[in-house]
Amino acid sequence: MDEDKRITLDNLSVRYRGAEDAQLKNVSATASIGQIVGIIGNSHTGKSTLCRVLAGVIPNIISAEITGSCEVLGHSPVHEWPNFNSLTGVVLQNPAGQLSGLADTVADEMAFDLINQGISEDVINKRVANVAAQMGLTDQLVQTPESLSGGQMQRLAIATAIVTQPTILIMDDPTSEMDPLGRQQFFHWLANVQSTTVFIVSSEIDDLSEIADRIWVMDDGQLVEQGTPQAVFNYLDADRQIPKPTAYQLAAGMNWHLSNGALPVTPSELKEAYDGKN
Amino acid sequence: MAKIELQDLQFAYPGKSFNLAVKQQVFADPMTAIVGQNGAGKSTIFKLLTGLLQPDTGIIKVDGHDLADFKPVDRLKTIGITFQNPDDQLFNATVKREVEWSLSQVNDDRDANSQQADKVLANVGLAEKAAENPYDLSLSERKLLTIATVLAIDPEIYLFDEPMISLDSPSKLMLTQIFHELVADGHQVITITHDMDWVAAEFGAVCVMEHGRIQFTGTPRALFGDRGLVERVGLLPPKVMELTSMLGDSRVYLSPEDYYKQNLGK
Repeated sequence: MDEDKRITLDNLSVRYRGAEDAQLKNVSATASIGQIVGIIGNSHTGKSTLCRVLAGVIPNIISAEITGSCEVLGHSPVHEWPNFNSLTGVVLQNPAGQLSGLADTVADEMAFDLINQGISEDVINKRVANVAAQMGLTDQLVQTPESLSGGQMQRLAIATAIVTQPTILIMDDPTSEMDPLGRQQFFHWLANVQSTTVFIVSSEIDDLSEIADRIWVMDDGQLVEQGTPQAVFNYLDADRQIPKPTAYQLAAGMNWHLSNGALPVTPSELKEAYDGKN
Repeated sequence: MAKIELQDLQFAYPGKSFNLAVKQQVFADPMTAIVGQNGAGKSTIFKLLTGLLQPDTGIIKVDGHDLADFKPVDRLKTIGITFQNPDDQLFNATVKREVEWSLSQVNDDRDANSQQADKVLANVGLAEKAAENPYDLSLSERKLLTIATVLAIDPEIYLFDEPMISLDSPSKLMLTQIFHELVADGHQVITITHDMDWVAAEFGAVCVMEHGRIQFTGTPRALFGDRGLVERVGLLPPKVMELTSMLGDSRVYLSPEDYYKQNLGK
């Protein structure tokens, strides 16, 4: 694969100014264009810091010492942020914190970046309507952003990130406040996203296992495992204290294995293992 | 255990179409989960229970006494709450002072409050952060701090609004353990949550809200056994049931362990 079609982290280390320890320690990883990369790990393991580097927020907005390299689709978020920034959509952990605070309505908030880009009103209206429908916010378009519930606010943050049609989407725990159906709809939507490279931090292990091409596991600032969901969860050390997918738990207790000897991590793999056993 | 009773409760936000109406509701189980879609009225119920909102009509009783007659300090000792967003309730300069401030609302003894703050911060794993500013903590730590401020007062009834949001797996296990210890000590725990796996595995009762109404109160097994209701109110069953349904098994399972128990050896 061409170098400019890949995401490559090479010995990436990050230390915030004034901090004794590095938040990221010699992280090396690869992924391909169009892939969904699920980033998992417990608190303080470096997940959010990694998102901030991938989004270029570090060091362009938050100052930090960076060593090693991070190249995403031929661009460096560290050294070429203006170019890189135009390619990305970012959803931060606190959705309310990333809204403009200047929009009177949900529709205006979604249109904010598009207006700044000088896009025509017709195109803006179409894109806003389309994204609102995708995020289940059509009925809320005329409401004020402040009137939304936590889950709706997260969907608005996602809508503002995707309305610019980014080629790279970086999301830090985007479903934490969504209700079960909202979460399910979000992951169904994400599974069908085309031509976008996605980095998503989430604790929704079951959903990630179904949609992610790659799982990166963070622990103490290090990337300790990377691979397909099946490979990662079959070899993930219990000492990491990260829960396994429910399909894996069910199959492990019932001794249902796939033909390759691995335990299933997705519903379709569970069905395959179950059918093979019965 | 203190018992909360709602009678003919009605509340509407000025200028909004949402209205809450509860004819009769008793929270009788020591550990109850309140579930429902975003905007169903779950947090509104909590705000009414803590006096942050006043009902338009109706009465909230605790052990038969009208909550409206409670003095503020007695209300704090009776019902404690943590909000969904920790930043809505943290404002002191250090983590320890945050807990001490909470205690100072019910007790003037500074030495006792200091000792109690140390003890509670240790219980939630924040002892080493005592001197830090709450806003230098991670979101999950701020969440645990808000929980510590309520644990410190040790009210009879605990209300938690989405306590698991942003917590990692070890913290979720720790909090679940704390809940069970509170219940064992005679407290009542009422929690708003979207985590159906947690509800199924850990709670004795579940209360389903939809459009400002309570549509169901009963055990998780009864709720998840009524697939029509679960679908109608916009919930999902626990993940283990989504998987076992796909395998052609329509029985109710509350956790993978529940599945092994019912099926191993058959």
